[in-house]
This record gives sequence, C-alpha cells and structure tokens, in this order.
Amino acid sequence: MDRPLAEFVEMLRYADIPVSISESLDAAVTVQLIGYEDRALLKDALSQVMAKTVEDHESFSRCFDEFFSYDVELNLEEALPPELSEETSSEDSENFDQDSGSDDQEMPANQNAGEGGAGSGAGEARQTSPDGNLVDMLEQNDRTALTMAMNDAAGAVNLSGIVLMTQRGLFTRRIMEEMGLDQVNREITARQEGGDEEGSQDLAGRLESLFDTVRDLVDRQLAQTSSGKSKQFRQDILKNVRLSNIEQRDFRIMREIVRRMAKRLTDMNSRVRKVKNRGHLDIRKTMRRNVAYDGILFETHWKQKHKDRPRVLAVCDVSGSVASVARFLLLFLYSLNEVLPKVRSFAFSGTLGEVTELFDQYGPEDAVPLAIDKFGGRSTDYGRAMEDFKELIFDELDNRTTVIFLGDGRSNGSDPRIDILKEIKARSKRVIWLNPERKSIWGSGDSEMLRIAPYCTVADTCNSLNKLELVIRDLLKTS
Amino acid sequence: MTIIDKEPASAIDLIVEGFDAAGYICDRHIATSIYLSQKLDKPILVEGPPGVGKTELAKAASELLNAPLIRLQCYEGLDESKALYEWKYGKQLLYTQILKEKLGDLLEDAVGLDQSMTKLHQFGDSFFSEEFLEARPLMQALKSEGQTVLLIDEIDKSDHEFEAYLLEILSDYQISVPEIGTIKARTKPLVFLTSNNTREMSDALKRRCLHLYIPFPDADLERRIIKTRVPELDENLRNQLVSFVQQLRTQDLKKLPAVSETIDWARTLLLLHAENLDTELVRNTLNMLLKFEEDIDNMNTEVPKFIAVAQKEAR
Repeated sequence: MDRPLAEFVEMLRYADIPVSISESLDAAVTVQLIGYEDRALLKDALSQVMAKTVEDHESFSRCFDEFFSYDVELNLEEALPPELSEETSSEDSENFDQDSGSDDQEMPANQNAGEGGAGSGAGEARQTSPDGNLVDMLEQNDRTALTMAMNDAAGAVNLSGIVLMTQRGLFTRRIMEEMGLDQVNREITARQEGGDEEGSQDLAGRLESLFDTVRDLVDRQLAQTSSGKSKQFRQDILKNVRLSNIEQRDFRIMREIVRRMAKRLTDMNSRVRKVKNRGHLDIRKTMRRNVAYDGILFETHWKQKHKDRPRVLAVCDVSGSVASVARFLLLFLYSLNEVLPKVRSFAFSGTLGEVTELFDQYGPEDAVPLAIDKFGGRSTDYGRAMEDFKELIFDELDNRTTVIFLGDGRSNGSDPRIDILKEIKARSKRVIWLNPERKSIWGSGDSEMLRIAPYCTVADTCNSLNKLELVIRDLLKTS
Repeated sequence: MTIIDKEPASAIDLIVEGFDAAGYICDRHIATSIYLSQKLDKPILVEGPPGVGKTELAKAASELLNAPLIRLQCYEGLDESKALYEWKYGKQLLYTQILKEKLGDLLEDAVGLDQSMTKLHQFGDSFFSEEFLEARPLMQALKSEGQTVLLIDEIDKSDHEFEAYLLEILSDYQISVPEIGTIKARTKPLVFLTSNNTREMSDALKRRCLHLYIPFPDADLERRIIKTRVPELDENLRNQLVSFVQQLRTQDLKKLPAVSETIDWARTLLLLHAENLDTELVRNTLNMLLKFEEDIDNMNTEVPKFIAVAQKEAR
C-alpha cells in the first residue's frame, strides 16, 4: 500500500470510521485501478470500499476532502519556476503527514528522498536552519526550507500531542516561535524604524502567509488525532459519570451510547431463541411427521424450550427531586422500547400515565421533554402513582412480567401504599427498583426506600449508565 | 465483460449509458460501484430509503450483463434449507427402497456378515450426493454455468444466523455442505444485497461488501427518471410534478414519497389527462404519494403553496 493511502486510512480510523485491514487492502486495489488523478471518481470509489454506514459516508466525505485537498500553499509560489512548484506541491502533502507522526528522527531522510527536484535547496536549508534565518527563507521564498523548518518546529513542540480545539492558537504560536518568529518581528520593526516601509510590509505579508500555513498544519493534526480520541474519551467518561451530572450538550452522545447498549443487550437475548431447536427429540411428533416416509425418520422434531422475551413494564418518576436523572432514565426507556418490542412505559410525579404511545410517535428529542411536560413538575406522590398503576395495568400483570421502577422513593410524607407494591410483587415475575440515590441515604428524610426495598426482587442504586447496563443485562439473562 | 476491461472512467461512463438503455437512470456513483464490484469481486450492499430503486438496480444490472437474475427474498425465519440447499428426501427414500430390493442381488455371492459389509462399503455412497441436492437460490447462483446476478433482497429482514450463513458465500463464493464438502462457484455471480436499514448489519457482513447508499434523487435526476419511465408525460407537467415531490420531501412526513411513488403519480396524471397541477387534482391524487392518512391531512393545507412554487419553477 502506498504511503498517502496508509495515512488516509489512519485518519479515517481516528475519525471513528472502522476501516479493517481487508478494507484497506481493497482500498489499495481500488487506488491501483483508478489512480489519484480523478479525485471525484476516487472519492466515489473509496467511499464505497471503506465507509460502510450512512453516517460513516458523511465523515468519510469530510475526511477525504480535508486530506486530499490539502497542499502546502505558501502563496509564494510565483517565485518558483512553475514546473518545480507543481512537482513539489504533491510531495509536500506527504511530508506533512509524516510530520504528524511526530517521528522527527526519520524526517530529514524522508524529506530529501521525497523532495527530489528541490533537493539542493533542502540541503542548504538543513545546514542553516532551524533558527537564525527565517527572514532569509521568507525573503527567498525557499519553500522547501520553510517546510522543513516547520516540520522540525512541529516535532520540537510535540504537535502530535494536541487534543483540544482550544490548543490550536498555542501550538501555532509555539511552532512559529520555534521557527524564529521573534527574529522576524525584530526585523520588521527594524525596517519600519529604518524607514523601509515597503520592505517591512512585504516581510509582514510573507510572515502572515506562513502563519496561515502553520495554522493549517495544526488544524490538520488536530483533525487527525483529536476528534477520534476525544470522542472515545468523552464516551468513556460519560458511561461512568453520574447521570445527574451529564449536561444537555452531551445528550446526543449519550443517546448513541444508550442505543448501542440497548442493542447489544437485545442482541445477546435474541441469540437465546435458537437454542430452542436443540435438546430432546420429541418422538411422538417425529413419528407423526414421518408417516409419509414409510416411517423412516427423515424429519426430526425436537422438544422445544420456549424462551420468552420478558414483558417489561417500566415506571419512571419524573418529579422535581429526580428531574436531572429523569431525562436519562426516560431516554433509556425509549431506547429499550426501540429494541424490545414488549416494553410499556409509564411516567408519573403526581398522577401516573402511559408514555409508550408517545415514544412510538416521536423521536427521543421530542418524546422525552413531552413526557416530562405531561407528567412531571408536580410533587411526588408514590401512593397515588401506585393506585393509578394498579387501576391501569394490574390486570395485565402475570408471572412473566417484570416491573421496573425508576425513582428515588421520596414520597413527600404521603403513604407510598406499600400494600399495592406487595400485590404487584406477588403477581409479577419480578419487581426491580432502581434508585439514583446511594444506599447510605436511603431512609433519610422522606425517603421510603427502606420500606419499599423488601417488596422488590432487586432494589439497587443506579446512578450511571454502566450500572444501568448491568441491571438490564441481568434482567434479560434470567428471563 | 468487455466494458469492465476499459479504463475506469470510460468503463463507468459505459455502464451509465448501458443502464440508461436498460431504462435505469443512475449517476456515476452507482455505476462506480458496479465497476468496482466486478473488478474486486465483491458483493454490493445497497442501502437507502424504500422505493429509490435498490431492487431495480439488480434487475437493470442483470439486463446490462445479459445474465439471469436469481432472487432471494429474505424474511424472518428464513433458513439454509430455503436459501442454500435441501436434500430431496423423497428421492432419497426411493433410493433406499431400490437399494433394499437390489441388495439381495448385489450381495449374492458374499458369505457371512463381514463379507457383506465389506462388499457394501465398496459401492459408492450416493445417499448424500449432489444428485439428491435440491439447489435453492444461493446454490443455483453458484452452480450456474454462465454469470448470474444474485439479488438477496431485504437482508435486514432475515435473522442474525442467516447473515452468518451468507458470509462464506459473500467472501469466497462457495458453500460448505457437511455431507459432501465445499461447492465452489463456477462463475462468480454479481451479488446485490439490499437493506432498508431496519436493523444494523453485522460488521463481518459489511466488511465483505461494497457499501452503496442510494439517497432520494435530486430534481434533475428525478426528471430524467420520469422522462424514461413515463415518456408520454408532457415536459411542463413533468417539471411541475418533480418540483412538487421535491418540496414534499423537505417536509416532516411519516413516509417520504420515493421515486416509485413519483412514477406512479406521473402515470396517474397521465391517465387523468392532466395538463397542469391544480389544487383539486393534487388533493384527489395525493394518496398516490403519501401513504399515511396523517401525512395527507397535514399536507392538504400546503398543497396550493407547493403548486405555486412548482409552476414557477417549471417555467
């Protein structure tokens, strides 16, 4: 595989497009077939080989444009003979990629090899740079030397360590300083003072375009390393962070995590279904089926184990006391609804009502706030909610139903109607109570958790996505 | 195929033209994937909203390559006995019956059980042999002498297990039958898998395929499609119609009208001898485009506005 392609693959992986080895081999064949000249065609072709979902196609397109449109444009090209500038511009882009690996050890060698036509210029620059003559390099429009100096400087300030958008300015500045910014500035000031207005403006202009180039370099490095890393980083953090601390802006990422989690859980569950086709031979049915074949047993029939997917009723507290968590509990319910067909969801603060239909009708961005609007805002009354729940759905409870309560068990002093919970427990397969509060403060103040807990199959703290996942996994496993 | 051996750019142009002639209007993106799949011997996983011509693409490709189309419609519960192969039980039964009758003759001179068994083992075991193999679509495509186009339609409707069966075919164009061994493709078929994305396909499957996403066409492409499919329709009306549908697609609808619906609508308007879009006409025929009562109710009020824009654009 040639180098630009390998680097492009690297970049795609950072951008969260999972390019496997076989896919990159395909890409190499594709490049061989099509070549680098026809960019539009190459983009079409590579996108089909390397990006395998609709979302990936979008990020692929962005990465491709960024990667292949990038050339070192110093805007000083007029000074070079045209054929030379053409020759180097494509090579230069390669050099930049190498640099982003921050392996400044091997850079000079690569540089000279890659540069070819401009080799002698590079050699000179090598001896005199990095410091001391940025002014000369700018004056002479020595593109090669500038590029090299820039690469060296980038290596020296460890550009590949850039992670955040906000570091861009800092790194740009550092690279420029490493290359000898101060000296150029002094020169400009000196010329101004010396009355050489034209000369100082000229130099300032050149410096400005060098600044642009360095900024491009930094941006590109940022695109290569940070976006992928930081996303992964954010996701890892989000999984463990307390639900109430997750901010609005992370809602989107959360949704993705939750969706993936819910999908994985149901995938695990759906595999169980196949097991039912193994086990004991059902002799009676097998005989009956094979009567047509003269009693020779061609078709077998197995005793089936029925694996029911759980019927889940989820009840979510959306009152003020758990408001910060409610969004995410609802979000999880929503995702569960998407993957498990038999979830019925309810929300309450004062009165209790079903939100399943709401979830079916709207996307999560709309459905979650709507559910909170509709049922939230009042002070919690567990007693009332229990009564409503009993009235609404009690008849449908059977020994296959799992009831999940999501709430803090703080009933504002009113009777939480434990007796109803007891009835629910008796009728359903399982009652799970998930409380965002830590166990140590259960029972403090108006918390009724200590009275509630005995009537639940499981009552546990659930304040992060990881915990939530564990609970749901257990739920599916034991069903 | 000769087109494939040409330079990439010209080969792709030729494919576009070939599709054109077959009545399938496409852009270079789609043609590129046909070219690549031929060159890299890879199946194409086609995704996109319903009605944008995913299945049509396979049909057109079969016409272009002059290869028969073998179609496998996926559904929940589809298993290897319906997709790959099945034993011809009845014939196997008859075979054992015949064997029973002939057994006496065959083992005539054998003395004792041991000798009979040795003798029996000498006969070829044809109980599980290719003669008793009933080829289902996937097997048919592999066994075919000439090139075929294999369309595995709506793969997302099938189970995870079935996806796993497919992997061997998709990557190596072969099937392993436990009783016989591996059956390799005589000629590699051109494989299309279509998906409406009702569930995410596994990474293993995706890795083996080229991924082609067909979105709703832009106005220009859609006009060309209508022109080919409903050539009798007046140009002015065609432009209005396409513009109207394009506007409809910008709305929040339960189901956006796809190309197939636009074609149906164009045919309807042709039947009704319409010359211009007018509010009454559109309201009466809106059910050709929108398939939910709710969508129709919501859009009824917007109709005059859309028509005005459409007529302005068509001029």
